[in-house]
Amino acid sequence: MNDQRPTLPVTTIALLVVVFLQIPVIVVVLASFSETSYLTIPPQGLTLKWFEAVLTDSAYLGAIRNSLVLAIGATTISMVLGVAASYALFRKMLPGSEALTSLLMSPLIIPSVVIGVALLQYFTLVGLRGGFVVLLLAHVVITVPYIVRSALASLSGIDLSVEEAARCLGADGFTAFRLVTLPLIKPGLVAGALFSFVTSMENVPVTIFLAGPRQTTLPILIFTSVEMGVDPSVAAVSTLLIIATVLVLFFAERWTGFHRFV
Amino acid sequence: MSNLTLDHVVKRYSSVTVVKDVSLAIDEGEFVSLLGPSGCGKTTILRMVAGLIDPSGGTIRIGDRDVTRLPPNKRNIGLVFQSYALFPHLTVHENVAFGLRRKGQSGAALDARVGEALAMVRLAGYGERYPRQLSGGQQQRVAMARAIAPRPNVLLFDEPLSNLDAKLRDEMQIELKRLQRELGITTLFVTHDQAEALSLSDRVCVMQDGVIQQFAEPETIYRRPATAFVASFIGKPNRLAGTIRGGRVALDEQLELRSESDLSGDGRPVEVFIRQEAISLAASGDESVNRIAGTVALRSFSGPQVKYVVRIGSDQELVVEAPSSGPAGDLAPGQPVMLEVHPQDVLVLSRETAP
Ligand SMILES: Nc1ncnc2c1ncn2[C@@H]1O[C@H](COP(=O)(O)OP(=O)(O)OP(=O)(O)O)[C@@H](O)[C@H]1O
Ligand SMILES: [Mg+2]
Repeated sequence: MNDQRPTLPVTTIALLVVVFLQIPVIVVVLASFSETSYLTIPPQGLTLKWFEAVLTDSAYLGAIRNSLVLAIGATTISMVLGVAASYALFRKMLPGSEALTSLLMSPLIIPSVVIGVALLQYFTLVGLRGGFVVLLLAHVVITVPYIVRSALASLSGIDLSVEEAARCLGADGFTAFRLVTLPLIKPGLVAGALFSFVTSMENVPVTIFLAGPRQTTLPILIFTSVEMGVDPSVAAVSTLLIIATVLVLFFAERWTGFHRFV
Repeated sequence: MSNLTLDHVVKRYSSVTVVKDVSLAIDEGEFVSLLGPSGCGKTTILRMVAGLIDPSGGTIRIGDRDVTRLPPNKRNIGLVFQSYALFPHLTVHENVAFGLRRKGQSGAALDARVGEALAMVRLAGYGERYPRQLSGGQQQRVAMARAIAPRPNVLLFDEPLSNLDAKLRDEMQIELKRLQRELGITTLFVTHDQAEALSLSDRVCVMQDGVIQQFAEPETIYRRPATAFVASFIGKPNRLAGTIRGGRVALDEQLELRSESDLSGDGRPVEVFIRQEAISLAASGDESVNRIAGTVALRSFSGPQVKYVVRIGSDQELVVEAPSSGPAGDLAPGQPVMLEVHPQDVLVLSRETAP
């Protein structure tokens, strides 16, 4: 950091970029309050009926429930697997750690559609299709890189001798990890968990190949309803998602100051 | 409290052997320093004793227990790191309590033990602070309190004072010695600071390239170094090439010195070590001392001491240290001088193949 203030043109450009990036969000939020039965900007009139429509529609409620169960389940599993894997990789407990790390991170760079098709073929091959478990496994694959990434970053930021100190003071390996290493990497893990959760929540390309009729998630439902014609209830559900995300980020930041690990 | 024994301990990393067949027996309550240049394997030995790395061979015993294959938490040791390695998310109190809690202590008994340990390092009342709110010296003392609180059988230190400034380091040395005396805990102390090793230790173990060169009391290490390496590593002695000739050591055709070292083997090439402070510029009249005629080539003043570079023999030089307030305090370059060295201060050691 230096204490030079940005010049006026820089500030202006920065503000314009921020506004430009936020335009879709603003449009969606505004449109969700419109009384018309089609999306329009500026909104005509002011109503909450689209929110009511969403929150009483069993299809939407079911999709929200599916998405939450999936995101929480996938994040929990990814957390356990990802943290354990990162720890082993970081301590170089396995030969070929670098190669394994790249492998675990590969879902970040492989196009999601490719992963979706690949998983579909794989699950068909092994005789699993269209169930919740399949979807959950697929979401673990796409969310685990976020956990691994933030766990590795956090681990490299701490002095490993603290864990050795704990072991010399009578803690076995797991206790030392639980009482010393884990609290120290917690902010990073919270950041990773949020990324993982959001990634699972918003995923369409992988989910669409694998979700059976009873596993429709919120983004899939939005996606299909947009195909059938847009009404402001889509904007309303999107607005709800935006509000939920902002709240989660706000409180997570307050509790852990995780932004340093993003 | 127990003795600590290393028996033919070896550590190999793939093809390199960094600790080569080290055997060391430390008595109960003894303070031993491992001293040697960077990379000679001191930390490696310490970490093997702690159980943080596995030896490739040999056995390590604490008391009469073979701990070679035990994990660190089963060894009952206290380790103080160079980096302190305090737990940043815990208060000073909880840092010190960590080892006690692992032993199942809690409540008032635990608080009393923590208070006792903090008082010992003069940090009573600092319990509620976090490590980041302490100075380097205070953090170091918390690290010590944390290590001693569970009453370990063996205390291990890895250059614990090297991050402190010179003045604080002197204070902490005394503190540390006092603490170790009071507790009577067997201590292995790694350092590359010879003054620190000599002043703190009951015995010093000088190492080079993973091999013990000498393991003896500080006085012996200083006065009777066993090898040319030890002689040159401790202090900054004059180091001259010589040859054994008729029960004396010859520096050149004319100049022969008497010595109390082993002078057997006529014609054997040797190295001669003479400490700067062992050379006298004042004539004593004592017939048993070596007399060396020379000429002052250079004078350098450093407060209480003056150093002279004196040219002797055909083309050799000796650095001589003298008190600046004495009669030999202001000799000018070019002046002829007569140097006196007692035979016991002329150390003759076999010439090493690789210097
Ligand atoms: N994990 C490792 N793999 C390979 N070589 C290693 C490893 N750890 C240490 N070494 C080597 O072992 C030798 C001894 O290392 P060690 O840390 O014990 O030295 P030291 O005497 O403590 O030095 P210093 O005074 O610099 O701390 C060094 O040459 C080092 O390069
Ligand atoms: Mg070291």
